[in-house]
Amino acid sequence: MSIIWLILLPTLGIFIPLLCQSNNRNMITSLTAMLPVASFILLCTYTNQVFSGEELRFFIPWISSLGLSLSFHLDGLAYLFCLLIIGIGLLVILYARYYLSDEDNMSKFYCLLMFFMVAMLGVVLSNNLIQLWMFWELTSISSFLLISFWSHKTEARKGARMALTVTGSGGLALLGALLLIGHITGTYELNEVLDKANLIHASDLYTPTLILFLLGAFTKSAQFPFHFWLPHAMSAPTPVSAYLHSATMVKAGVFLMARFYPVMAGTEQWFIIVSLTGMITMLIGAYVALFKHDLKGLLAYSTISHLGLITLLFGLGTQLAAIAGVFHIINHAVFKASLFMAAGIIDHESGTRDMRKLNGLWKYMPYTATLAMVAALSMAGVPLLNGFLSKEMLFAETLSQDTLGALSWFIPLLSTLAGMLAVAYSLRFIHDVFFNGEPIDLPRTPHEPPRYMRVPVEILVVACILIGLFPQFIVGDLLNAASSAVLQKPLPDFSLAIWHGLNFPLLMSTIAIIGGSILYYKREVLFEFKEQFLAEDAKYVFESRIQWIVSKAVQIHKFFDNDSLQRYILCLVIFALLLVSSPLLELLDAGGDEPRLGLSWLAIFCATILFVSTILTVIWSHQRLKSILALSVVGLIVSITFAYFSAPDLALTQLSVEVVTIILFLSALFFLPQQSPVIDSPLSTVVRDFIIALLFGSVIGTICYALLTRPLDSISTFFLENSLTGGGGTNAVNVILVDFRGFDTLGEITVLGIAALGIFKLLAKIPLYLPRTDSTGRAWATDKHPVLLALISQSLLPLALLVSAFIFLRGHNMPGGGFIAGLITAVAFLQQYIAHGVDWMAQRLKINYQLLIASGLFIATCTGLGSFMFDRPFMTTWFDHFHLPWVGEFELASAMIFDLGVYLTVVGATLLILANLGKLTTSERPMEDI
Amino acid sequence: MELTYAFCVGALSTGGVFLMLRAQTFPVILGLTLLSYAVNLFLFASGRLVINSAAILNGSEHYADPLPQALVLTAIVIGFAMSAFALILAMRARADLSSDHVDGNDVENYKPGKAIKRRKETV
Amino acid sequence: MLDHLPVSLVLIPLLAGIIVLFPFIGNNTNRIRSLSLLFSSLLLISSIKLFLVVQAEGIFIYALGDWQAPYGITLYVDIFSSLLCVLTSFLLICVQIYSFAGEDTQGQYYHPLLMFQTMGIIGAFLTGDIFNLFVFFEVLLMASYALVIHGGGKKKTQANLHYVILNLAGSALFLFALGILYGTFGSLNMVDMQVKVSSLTEDQTILAKAGALLLVSVFGLKSALLPIHFWLTRTYSASPATVAAFFAIMTKVGIYSFWRVHTGIFGNDAGSLANIAQDWLTPLAWLTIIAGTIAVLASQTLRVLTANLVIVSAGSLLLMVALNTHMAATAGVYYLIHSTLACAFMFLLADLIIKQRGKAEDRFVISRPVSQSRLLSLLFFFAALCLIGMPPLSGFIGKVFILKASLDAEMAAWVWPPILISSLAAMIVLSRAGSTIFWRAKGQNSEQYQAQFSQLFAISLLGIALVSMVVFGGPLSEISSQAADNIFNMGHGIKLVEKVDA
Repeated sequence: MSIIWLILLPTLGIFIPLLCQSNNRNMITSLTAMLPVASFILLCTYTNQVFSGEELRFFIPWISSLGLSLSFHLDGLAYLFCLLIIGIGLLVILYARYYLSDEDNMSKFYCLLMFFMVAMLGVVLSNNLIQLWMFWELTSISSFLLISFWSHKTEARKGARMALTVTGSGGLALLGALLLIGHITGTYELNEVLDKANLIHASDLYTPTLILFLLGAFTKSAQFPFHFWLPHAMSAPTPVSAYLHSATMVKAGVFLMARFYPVMAGTEQWFIIVSLTGMITMLIGAYVALFKHDLKGLLAYSTISHLGLITLLFGLGTQLAAIAGVFHIINHAVFKASLFMAAGIIDHESGTRDMRKLNGLWKYMPYTATLAMVAALSMAGVPLLNGFLSKEMLFAETLSQDTLGALSWFIPLLSTLAGMLAVAYSLRFIHDVFFNGEPIDLPRTPHEPPRYMRVPVEILVVACILIGLFPQFIVGDLLNAASSAVLQKPLPDFSLAIWHGLNFPLLMSTIAIIGGSILYYKREVLFEFKEQFLAEDAKYVFESRIQWIVSKAVQIHKFFDNDSLQRYILCLVIFALLLVSSPLLELLDAGGDEPRLGLSWLAIFCATILFVSTILTVIWSHQRLKSILALSVVGLIVSITFAYFSAPDLALTQLSVEVVTIILFLSALFFLPQQSPVIDSPLSTVVRDFIIALLFGSVIGTICYALLTRPLDSISTFFLENSLTGGGGTNAVNVILVDFRGFDTLGEITVLGIAALGIFKLLAKIPLYLPRTDSTGRAWATDKHPVLLALISQSLLPLALLVSAFIFLRGHNMPGGGFIAGLITAVAFLQQYIAHGVDWMAQRLKINYQLLIASGLFIATCTGLGSFMFDRPFMTTWFDHFHLPWVGEFELASAMIFDLGVYLTVVGATLLILANLGKLTTSERPMEDI
Repeated sequence: MELTYAFCVGALSTGGVFLMLRAQTFPVILGLTLLSYAVNLFLFASGRLVINSAAILNGSEHYADPLPQALVLTAIVIGFAMSAFALILAMRARADLSSDHVDGNDVENYKPGKAIKRRKETV
Repeated sequence: MLDHLPVSLVLIPLLAGIIVLFPFIGNNTNRIRSLSLLFSSLLLISSIKLFLVVQAEGIFIYALGDWQAPYGITLYVDIFSSLLCVLTSFLLICVQIYSFAGEDTQGQYYHPLLMFQTMGIIGAFLTGDIFNLFVFFEVLLMASYALVIHGGGKKKTQANLHYVILNLAGSALFLFALGILYGTFGSLNMVDMQVKVSSLTEDQTILAKAGALLLVSVFGLKSALLPIHFWLTRTYSASPATVAAFFAIMTKVGIYSFWRVHTGIFGNDAGSLANIAQDWLTPLAWLTIIAGTIAVLASQTLRVLTANLVIVSAGSLLLMVALNTHMAATAGVYYLIHSTLACAFMFLLADLIIKQRGKAEDRFVISRPVSQSRLLSLLFFFAALCLIGMPPLSGFIGKVFILKASLDAEMAAWVWPPILISSLAAMIVLSRAGSTIFWRAKGQNSEQYQAQFSQLFAISLLGIALVSMVVFGGPLSEISSQAADNIFNMGHGIKLVEKVDA
């Protein structure tokens, strides 16, 4: 069976608790345990292969360009961790069944626990760097969910978020490190990476890689200065703490160091950073642990201290130290898990974890007490227990290293000190809780827990003793396999024995034990000493840091983005100005060498008017009626300009658009304030704006001049040559519009149609009131629709329609076309509106403008689709000349149908807009009250 | 001639941009309209200036460049649609926010002191 | 019919929009809904078909009106553009289905406008003609203007005013740029321009450069490039949920255009105009991510937060454009798809949360619990993982892609800090948001609003897509790298019609 099943089975196990939503707790528990048990058995079947130094692999490619693949391997180290993860995991599942109360959602808990187990297994089994990181992050996520399991408790939420933030940011650093490693070695497969130690050590990216790498490892393993999150993760249910914070998650960091030991370790930087961090963490953890009144708090800090110990061992740089590190991983997992469970039992049965209340529990739960004491003694490193052995090895190694050169003797000294502290807090755990007088007002009277709640503790404690007594027999092979996987080379010979004869390490242990006892005996002194420093709660420190960041962010954000459109536009204009003007600096001469056109008086005249009326538009922009007049003059001149420079179509279009626009402006003006402040912003701003505008204008002008005075070799000769032969029209512009680039026109009329719809939406239920009077306070004329106007406009209507028909038909060959015709028609109808009012028109003219738009667009599109029938691309036009008696020669072109579509859309859109705007002035609209 | 033309385009865009930087909706829309005139003239100019040779085939051998004209036509139409929408939107804003200030906040009558205070707040 | 596939991608939404506009069809809500759903599924199918065709037979050039490039307008279809069409039409379907829960009837013309916007977006993706690109920009903008105010309300009007005016200015700039480009190239067809760009005279080169750079401001405005990204947050957070979700693709149009114009035309083999935009893009995109991150930290509501995350993702994408390497483009394409789907997902989810939270809406304050706490918190968790870029969801692949690309481009020192910091910020803010909205709830829920089937269905469609981006990460990354090929050799091996001499 492939090793993938090691992780696949628990993955399936995630869903089992969700599926069985029954209230039978035993059933949920046993069903959940089933698959992990299976994968545990599977693991055992690999034992011989692994112990014989074999490495089993499983590989499927996934995202090759990323170096990401589904690739797992099982070697000694992975095996060891799988053993811890699944084994202790099963014990925790059993334990949790009794720990969780009825209101806790058990299936959710188990689901998350399995999720975490899978993530953890993924980390230790991964043979691909990026996949490893993937599972690494999954452990952060799942632990976030587990810590916040009691999400109604604020400390649970805060602790969870703190853990997530710290480990998560570490994870990001780790990702960087792994990518760098992959970049250096050119492979993301772990087993290949591990062979390339020299490559990595030689690379100049080594130092950044190492720093990022250690950031990842230290945050996860709660090393100083990132250790503060771990105690707050204790707000999780105790089974979670027993699992995550003793055996598995916090071990992920040290696992990482062990895993990459061959390629990352072995350099000066590694030894300095890792050993010092480990040492500091070990001391701080042990020191703080001594003063914790909370049972779990004490254990948490002791965990930190022991993790520091392991880190130190990996930092010492001798091979035996690394082996000792691996050994202590095992031992710590075993005794710390049992201790957490014992603490959980005490909490569960007595209702508090405060050691100032918990006293003399020996009477009430002697059995549990014994178990807890054995485990605690092992934590203290007392002989005949497993804790002693690895601590002994530590002492031995601290003596045989020279990490700090001449100052290396610090290390054994400080280690002994840490040992003393460890003994002290272990004694405190034992004495305060189980002896030391009577319990003080406990919520409930403590008693022994249910039979099976003790089983996990028993198993673990037995393990402590057995390993302590027969190390070589119990864990010898396992340790060999794991250590050789760590070192990736044949091991030096070492002996796991209780008795190495009288030597320094033994002396150090003795000192530690005796000194520790004295420390505990004299603890009052220490406590008083500690009282001098007020401890601040990391939770609130962290929270306030976050708050600070957020508030700063808000400040900065507000400063840049003040919700002012003027600023936005200013940014846009300046940005565009910079972009467009930067190349112009290279342009030697604005004017090119094309022959210029002669300047005519008409041109000068027009230019002057244009200039003046532009200025007037600006100046009068606060007196709106005037400014609109000035604007219309500008429009007029523009259309004249088009006409002058041989663009009759443009001239016509501009003119007709002008008319409609002005009507639009006038009717909108009716609802906008007539006057607006002469100066809308401080003078400095106005000046600044003007300067920027001037710059922009001059740059645009310059470019325009530069273009005009340079030759252009364009594709348009093609249009002139083919417009008659290919497009069937002599008016090249119109042929381009309906044929060569008909697709543009289709889009253009669509825009017009959409605009009409949008405006309709805008005017729907608009809360506007009719102004009673004009700006000067005079009431509006009562005679809304003068008879004379009505008469004239009515008689004009057919004429206008005739004109538009004419313009439409000649479009293909002479200036004109659907668009202009459409506008003329629209204006003609508009005039009727003006003359007779909306109500009058509504009765007579029963056109649905929406329908008009739709059918216009429809016709235009279908004309284009027609060409599909002849198996030609969209909008391929067809035209032919016919001869009828009396009528004479005439032409039919599909383009004309398309133009009809344009015509209809324009009429529909324009009238939809203006008629609805006009509706606002109908009688039923409420008048504004004065 | 080219110089005059370019000058006009420049003037139009200056006016347009300046008005777009105003605080009331109406001037801004005026500005957009001015700017669109400038744009159309500019786009038209990209085909160079020619006199009395409209792109209507009549056997003469020299014509104005029809393509920019077609482009400008499209631009005019789209510009019309856009400014119409913007104008009505301005009305709507005036109705909904009871102010014709582009940011909706009611500072219709500008007073120096007030503005300076406002600027202090933002800083 | 297969020969007309490219244009039909534009025509299907257009026709759909027109048909439901006809009063005698559009007078019945259910008819409108079923028709538009029919058309959008047709659109999805045909865009997938087109994608497959292109993947099989290579680049597909469709000459409208049978006028060959450079004279007529041509649609230029390669794997890249057709891929984005598939994305767009898929997003359209999700948004539509979600809107069936009632948003589409809160105002008029919802479905036609949505269809027209789709037409604009797809047209912009497909067209090979730069002026036609402008036209389609206007189509999609005009539709979006109308959609932002759908449902009405002060906030929408206010946001829309800014949005519209800014984009009108943008359109003006676009036309200036086009004028310059036509005035120098004398052509509008992108492939043709790409051919001509190296043979311009010295003066023309300078002017063309001005035009090309001016386009940076235009596309930058669309794709939320600092310093012209301000409009985005407000507009997106004020718009109706489905519209905001659909807008997730709109910033991508700007980014697409960058790739087409500034990597395609003014790219590596543009002689003296090679990679002119990149010098501007690199620092600005970098700053965009920073600004976005700050805004993310400052966000006080879920919608604003999501909008700011859109800015961050836009910044990352622009950075990938600026890196100008094949790997970066691959990363960009993959990340583009991911961020579009993820942001859409979050916008829709935010709407559900708002509907169930009563007065508190989506503000990060203590309030009554949402009525479907378990369901929504699960969905939120999913979306958060996507947006932060945490495994096992597509976000992390996108992020790793970006980091790796910048590492290969020797830009890691520059690119990594903003990317990593931004995801850290997202993690901090989203975890706070989640625990405030779902865990710090007080009292009993008053809103009895239950998520409707169509809403959940739409959201789960997006969710499935995001998951399958991971499961099929291999093939998808393959496709992305093919798309990257297309980006870098636009128009290579394409023979345009020889110029006919006068």
